[in-house]
Amino acid sequence: MTSDVSELTPADYPLSINRPDLLRTPTGKALGDITMAGVVSGEVTNEDLRVTPDTLVMQGQIAESVGRRQLGENCRRAAEMTAIPDEEVLAMYNALRPNASTAAQLEEIASRLEGTYSASTCAALVREAAQVYAARTLLAEEDS
Amino acid sequence: MTAAVESVRTLTLREVGPAERGTRPDEVVIALSPAFGEPFTKTIVDVPHAEVIRQLLAGIEERGGSARIIKVYRTADLAAIAHFGAKLSGSGIAVGVLSRGTTVLHQRDLARLSNLELFPQAPLLDAEVFRMIGANAAQYAQGQSPRPVPTRNDQMARPRWQAKAALLHLKEFECIDHARAAVEVEPVITRVD
Amino acid sequence: MTAVAPRSESAVHTSKRTAILEDRPVNLDGFVEEWPEKGLVAMESDYDPQPSVRVEDGRIVELDGRTRDAFDFMDTYIADHAIDVETCEAAVATPSVEIARMLVDPRTSRDEIVALGRGLTPAKILDVVKLMNVVEIMMGIQKTRSRRTPANQAHSTSAKDNPIQVAADAAEAAVRGFAELETTLGVLRYAPLVAIGLQVGGQTGRGGVLTQCALEEATELDLGMRGITAYAETISIYGTESVFVDGDDTPWSKAFLASAYASRGIKMRFTSGTGSEVQMGNAEGRSMLYLEIRCILMAKGAGVQGLQNGSISCIGVPGAVPGGIRAVAAENLVASWMDLECASGNDQSFSHSPMRRTSRLLPQMLPGTDFVCSGYSGVPNKDNMFAGSNLDTEDYDDWNVIQRDMQVDGGLRHVREDVILQVRNKAARAMQAVFAELDLPAITDEEVEAATYADSSDDYPDRDVLADLEGAKSVMDRGITGLDLVKVLERTGFGDVAENYLQVLRQRVSGDLLQTAAIFTGDFVPLAAINDANDYAGPGTGYRLSGERWEELKKLRHVTSAENPEEEVV
Repeated sequence: MTSDVSELTPADYPLSINRPDLLRTPTGKALGDITMAGVVSGEVTNEDLRVTPDTLVMQGQIAESVGRRQLGENCRRAAEMTAIPDEEVLAMYNALRPNASTAAQLEEIASRLEGTYSASTCAALVREAAQVYAARTLLAEEDS
Repeated sequence: MTAAVESVRTLTLREVGPAERGTRPDEVVIALSPAFGEPFTKTIVDVPHAEVIRQLLAGIEERGGSARIIKVYRTADLAAIAHFGAKLSGSGIAVGVLSRGTTVLHQRDLARLSNLELFPQAPLLDAEVFRMIGANAAQYAQGQSPRPVPTRNDQMARPRWQAKAALLHLKEFECIDHARAAVEVEPVITRVD
Repeated sequence: MTAVAPRSESAVHTSKRTAILEDRPVNLDGFVEEWPEKGLVAMESDYDPQPSVRVEDGRIVELDGRTRDAFDFMDTYIADHAIDVETCEAAVATPSVEIARMLVDPRTSRDEIVALGRGLTPAKILDVVKLMNVVEIMMGIQKTRSRRTPANQAHSTSAKDNPIQVAADAAEAAVRGFAELETTLGVLRYAPLVAIGLQVGGQTGRGGVLTQCALEEATELDLGMRGITAYAETISIYGTESVFVDGDDTPWSKAFLASAYASRGIKMRFTSGTGSEVQMGNAEGRSMLYLEIRCILMAKGAGVQGLQNGSISCIGVPGAVPGGIRAVAAENLVASWMDLECASGNDQSFSHSPMRRTSRLLPQMLPGTDFVCSGYSGVPNKDNMFAGSNLDTEDYDDWNVIQRDMQVDGGLRHVREDVILQVRNKAARAMQAVFAELDLPAITDEEVEAATYADSSDDYPDRDVLADLEGAKSVMDRGITGLDLVKVLERTGFGDVAENYLQVLRQRVSGDLLQTAAIFTGDFVPLAAINDANDYAGPGTGYRLSGERWEELKKLRHVTSAENPEEEVV
């Protein structure tokens, strides 16, 4: 993370116009590198059209700078999630549905989030869910 | 919407015993919700419950099926009512009907929230549709694959009927009796001129 | 048993006037009595809880009369995520009438009232808005709406799921000014082709329009991840634990999903609305608005940037009870006040009465919201696969005239016929090229011609549905992405459409569209409640319809020229 990032204010928004210098694609290209010529030549790939965790953290800071604490938190969770493959994100979401997982299964997801993806904020959300589900009898039956 | 009915049929559901599993392989079970027939007497668009039953039975009969009627008291959830009926049906086929008219065709081996055919818009169900539903039920019971009953759609059903449907739903919920097991009933339809 | 007297069909004598009134469209609408014990009541119920809050050791331990041991999961989520622990006791202790006056009084800034709102509980918020009449509610919306510039959203769907129709109508809707376009399906398997139609058509009409396809969560997310759609909206939440669970979700699963969208750079908002809980029979004896306020706070707690509310698909329920449409306006106010983007309903068939349809619309249109309609039907209502909207294509000219009459910006404009025909034709040709390049079932010249001049799906040649469904499947199986579509458009001579589409995809890298109420201007400048924050502070401030935009809205289909009254202004 570059040092001036911590000072982002609403004046930096939109980043695409006011601070393109801060933006990179997941493969390290600059925003200005995403051109039709680059698309046609194959230099720009689907991988380039994703947001990086750094950018999400920056957007979260901008949101927090105008008092949107929860949107900032969401951006931080999202930053952690960029590392998780699409299918696994969907599988984790499904596991969080009511009566879909046992306490042990949710803990397994939380540990994986923490261990494999360094996603501690996401892990905390899953652990919190596990606690509430236990209290409200929304865990899957333990038997099978 | 509904033409004035000159002669009215009334429906009495006479209890004949506990609802049990049937054995006839061509049997269709008609599973009725807690408020069907008593205390309610007609669907959301004033189709008399007597007419609903009469048309379903006629549809089943004209396709060579046999029918049995049960009334459920422990739930007002249409999928649960129909699935319960299907499990008691000799053929595994049941028609579930809520008192406001919402109807589903169900089969024993399907998941509860699945179905063969669903008719969610009660305001669009008239005598003709109930007869077609009965006919399809009989065909499913005999292992055939009938063409689904054509579904109707009405953009303006929501402004007209949505709130009344909610009200009827709430009333039906009030008729749930957890202590009362499902019973088999015999329909007595009398004509009042 | 039912205490309803039969309608007067049996009465022998009615006056001629009564006969005329009986035949008025409004009498086809359904109206019911309230039943507060069951939650069939808009916003004033003795069965709603009284406001209270108590903090111990930095944690909310009592919320609206319930202590933590009795919390259901909505209470827990709201207490732990939505409400500011530091300010809540003081905020809840502020007299409700004082807060209501702050919402209306222009001398209280938006920042101030939003900051106070961060400490309020659901019952306290209800207590405040109950003091407000509908004009005061509109005053509140005018001030608390998050984006300064109002906007609008269209539905583009087809009764036959015809992707060419969806593309042509999306192009027309975009050129008419909608900032967002939404579609859904009759046959779900058609989704990839229809979503492509929406995107290609939208970018043909006006670069930067944002598109979405309403589907079950997993498929909706998948299309978003591939870059075939740009945002998502049908992420439903509910105000009671039992109904939430019936919907197979919890606040935690939905919060996780919110982050999942953001992690792919995709804009997203939740959906909720008055009436859904009582409609499903589990309102737990609370009023519709109380439960909706819980939804709004849950959404805020999850950190999602916005909410679609205003009853939405349950509008027939609040619409049928006394004060129901006031409650619907109040839910839009609360969403705005809680600092969320508000896509404010007016998106479902609401009434048989044209007068009533219009009056239901004014509390959102007059003050302006982030999206006045979260689905104005950009197709004739019979083609609307969301079961019809409060407004459709037949109402375009009426809408434009109301904007001009009232000098309000409802997000649309009158567009000359030649421009509309041009974008419709081009959208259909672009689809023809895309389908050909991707080996999808061919689009004939006859279909392109039909799309140019059509009104409804009846005006198009029938497609081979089975072949289309095969094609739709192959789009998914081959893993076709937005970038592939950009390449195809570029290769086939639709370079400007390709460029527009690429700009939309490129925004994912910046994450700019993740900020509250973000849309794109025609020049691809993200406009959000940051660089376009609502600064209303009384007369003469905030968004004013003036300058170039006002000149644009003065134009109608028929306006007599002042210079030469024998002619009309072109």
